[in-house]
Amino acid sequence: MNKYRLSRRQFLKQAAAVTAATALPGQLLGVPATVLAAPRRQEVAPGVLREECLILENPSGTVLPADDFNRWRSGYSAVWVGGLQQLALDALWYIDPDAGVDGVWDNALAAEMPIYNDDFTQMTVKLREGLYWSDGVEFTADDLYFTVELLKNTPGMQYQGLFDGSIDHMEQPDRNTVIFYLKAPNSRFHSAFTVRWGACYIMPKHIWEQAEDPVAFTFNPPVSLGAYTLRDFDPNGKWTLWERREDWQRTSVALLGEVSVKYAMYIDPGPSDKRVIAQMAHELDVIHDITPEGRITLARENPSSIGWFPSFPWAHPDPTLPAVIYNNEKPGLDKKEVRWALTLAIDIVQVALASYRGAATISAIHVPPTGMYPEYYHAPLEPWLNDFTIKVGGEDYKPYDPTAAQKIADLARESLGDLVPTDPEIIKQYIGAGWWKHDLDAAEQLMLDAGMQKIDGKWALPDGSEFKVPLMSMNESNPTMNRAAAMVAENWEAFGIDTSLDAQANPWPIMTAGEYSANLAWTIETWGGHPDLFFFLQYWHSRLYVPSGENAAGSNSMRWKHPELDRIIEEIEMISFDDPRGVELGLEFCKLAVQEMPITPLMAYNVFTTMDTTYFTGYPSIDEPYTDPVPNWGNTKYMFVKIKPNTM
Amino acid sequence: MRNFVLRYLIPRVVQYLTIIFVGITVTFIIPRLAPTDPVAAQVSMMIARGSSLDPASIESMRAALTDLYGLSGSPVEQYFAFWGRLFRGDLGPSLGNFPTPVSKMIGQALPYTLRLLIPAVIISFILGNFFGGLSSYYPRNIGLKVIEVVGQAVRSIPYYIVAIVLLVVFAYFIPIFPFSGAYPIGTRPDWSSPEFIWTYIEHSVLPAATLVLVGFGGWFVGMKSLTSNIISEDYVVYAETAGLKKNKILVHYIMRTAMLPQLTALAMSLGTIFSGALIMEVVFGYPGIGSLAIVAVYRNDYSMIMGITIYSIIGVATTVFLMDLLYPLFDPRVRYQ
Repeated sequence: MNKYRLSRRQFLKQAAAVTAATALPGQLLGVPATVLAAPRRQEVAPGVLREECLILENPSGTVLPADDFNRWRSGYSAVWVGGLQQLALDALWYIDPDAGVDGVWDNALAAEMPIYNDDFTQMTVKLREGLYWSDGVEFTADDLYFTVELLKNTPGMQYQGLFDGSIDHMEQPDRNTVIFYLKAPNSRFHSAFTVRWGACYIMPKHIWEQAEDPVAFTFNPPVSLGAYTLRDFDPNGKWTLWERREDWQRTSVALLGEVSVKYAMYIDPGPSDKRVIAQMAHELDVIHDITPEGRITLARENPSSIGWFPSFPWAHPDPTLPAVIYNNEKPGLDKKEVRWALTLAIDIVQVALASYRGAATISAIHVPPTGMYPEYYHAPLEPWLNDFTIKVGGEDYKPYDPTAAQKIADLARESLGDLVPTDPEIIKQYIGAGWWKHDLDAAEQLMLDAGMQKIDGKWALPDGSEFKVPLMSMNESNPTMNRAAAMVAENWEAFGIDTSLDAQANPWPIMTAGEYSANLAWTIETWGGHPDLFFFLQYWHSRLYVPSGENAAGSNSMRWKHPELDRIIEEIEMISFDDPRGVELGLEFCKLAVQEMPITPLMAYNVFTTMDTTYFTGYPSIDEPYTDPVPNWGNTKYMFVKIKPNTM
Repeated sequence: MRNFVLRYLIPRVVQYLTIIFVGITVTFIIPRLAPTDPVAAQVSMMIARGSSLDPASIESMRAALTDLYGLSGSPVEQYFAFWGRLFRGDLGPSLGNFPTPVSKMIGQALPYTLRLLIPAVIISFILGNFFGGLSSYYPRNIGLKVIEVVGQAVRSIPYYIVAIVLLVVFAYFIPIFPFSGAYPIGTRPDWSSPEFIWTYIEHSVLPAATLVLVGFGGWFVGMKSLTSNIISEDYVVYAETAGLKKNKILVHYIMRTAMLPQLTALAMSLGTIFSGALIMEVVFGYPGIGSLAIVAVYRNDYSMIMGITIYSIIGVATTVFLMDLLYPLFDPRVRYQ
């Protein structure tokens, strides 16, 4: 017998011993006692004191890859909204979704507004002097020229299509001027360079000209033109830490005020309940969004938490309009009487309570009730809405209910008590004005007017074939929208519509492809602070119409075409951005959309941005509406000239 | 030896490779049956996030991304290109985080998942089997009855409910454990630092405890039913009649025999590492492959979904294959014929 031969038992024992020895990290045996008894740190990162660091939620969650700061590549990355576009990048112009620090329009890198020639085939940009990149290089027209040229010539980069299709050539007459010669008239060409959430930010030429492959280039560390530079980040993408530049005065944001916050950290705090707990522990200064229930909890339990409104509904209404979007090509839904019937079958009070626990800001018209829009559109249209009629059974019928918001407030008060305001003017400002009546009799007559039949309690098409309207929605990734959709589906079912809730993790591509009947999402977004509606109407002209089955060119996923709409869009194209006629045309659009009801507007996209005042004050609010408080917009940079540490 | 190679090893290797081939092929096909595509998902995400992009820009972006993502050919062409890359060890770029390689992202995330789930699975395996064996041999023991009831009760509760209960109790009401993540916000991983390792372990306790609690009941019941049958076997009765010590009979005669099917189940359960990671990492905010997988599903990131699934298929198939080969080490009665 070979004495060196290993028995099965010996082999197993030795294997177990070796495994245990390698699996047990040696360091564990040497954990110092001081570590076990370490007190809770007052630093949020090495050398960064809590009271000096504003901690914000990155609404896109974990940033992966964490080391890729290429903001110009096509696609979307969570790193953009982890402080990069808010704190480190800068653009020519900004339009604030609210009132702005010094008006809604801000000339940031540009010294003045864009200068167009008479037929909008030239746009001249004058740049500011005295602005510097964080590595000490001065910002000049070279950077703008280089940025546009690189993007124009590099497939796979954002704006490549726009710049290549729009720009004939450019000139740089001096170090602070760039002239764009356009291939065709375009009175809104500056939109590409104007931040509303995001835009074409300007690259540092001296860095990017070294990039062999701009699409693959990670721009790490990012050389900053904003008031902050990257200090550190988590390789696993849970946090990104930014530090105020020593020379922050040499950035455009300094023109608006002092940047007092020394550090800013964007984190992934986890789902809604964890955000609530983190803020109650004062470990998260700015929550981007939480569920209505979470917001109510903070209102009751955490006095240092504040919202956009000082009381119910707290949430900031984004310049985005959640709506019931109909595929206007589907049989039945191609008739405006049917779309109106479906609108009158919706009980907006129930929808507001189901989605936002009543904390909604409703809109009967096709622009969001937020920013400057109540002033531009909602208030002027109120008399028209009160008198507006549609034909129901051959008779004039007034569908508008001016008391809808009041009803929402009254019902919300039953569960939330004194948190809900009682002043009618405040209710109008916070929750909105009226909406469309919930009138099933009128809805039924409209269906009959359209030739629809009711067979065994369910509506059918005029030829008797089935009329199914499944309602697509976002799944639990967006609980408020999902709950709104569930209530709309319930309303429709009660009316006899053959419907079902189709919750999708990502409904957007399905909507873009037109592979749906109805969807609760949004196709309308606006500047918020500026009345120009071209932001979304640019996609709605019939020349860009794409039938279902193909991807819509932008936001006309409902496939709505109308000659009057074309006229309005064409006229907007021919006037300048600030022409007062733009508002008149916007009102004309609103009236047309109400008459045709291609989509049923519901409410603003209310975001329960909640801010903790334990360490910092000066957050934006309805009383100080200098910007949208949500921390993922490029406009968030304005918060950093207003927010002050409590220690100051 | 020749018989072993010809009649056992080679057929097993062929079977193993076939399983991997079929699994990977199915993984390639399934995402392409989805009603959306990654390019549409990326573009719609841009539009939904309020970027001002004119129609021409959007169309150009679609075309560029389709080309960059390697989705411009027919599915058959893509399939062969995919295998070509795979043989070079290249899983391609993540389509949701283009152009970062999938293998880089998985390589960064997988260790976090494995470091947490493997110990948790093994601990629940050991505890469940130990107490399950004891429970059948000492059926009147009150303590074991309590453990069984608790184990069964927890087992029937969905994982995420147990996780949330533990979180609320031990991170909120009695704040002795951290609330989220694998280490504190503001901390960079430093595996040479005892302090970092300690905080890492602190952050691992609740997720691991959840996995152990939920997994324990299954192993307990399995072991109890196996040992209940073995107790009445002749050789056990003979050992008791011979006056051997109870503990010796329990450990050497009953548990060892019952462990064999449990070991197979353990190998199979390694697949749950990939599925369990999904829920666990969402609840606990853990930076592992579960988090990667969920984001990939939301974004229609084909290549990431395929990468994670391929790792899973190869991991589970390899483990079961190795377990087959190692069986004789655990059971002297098994011989490859």
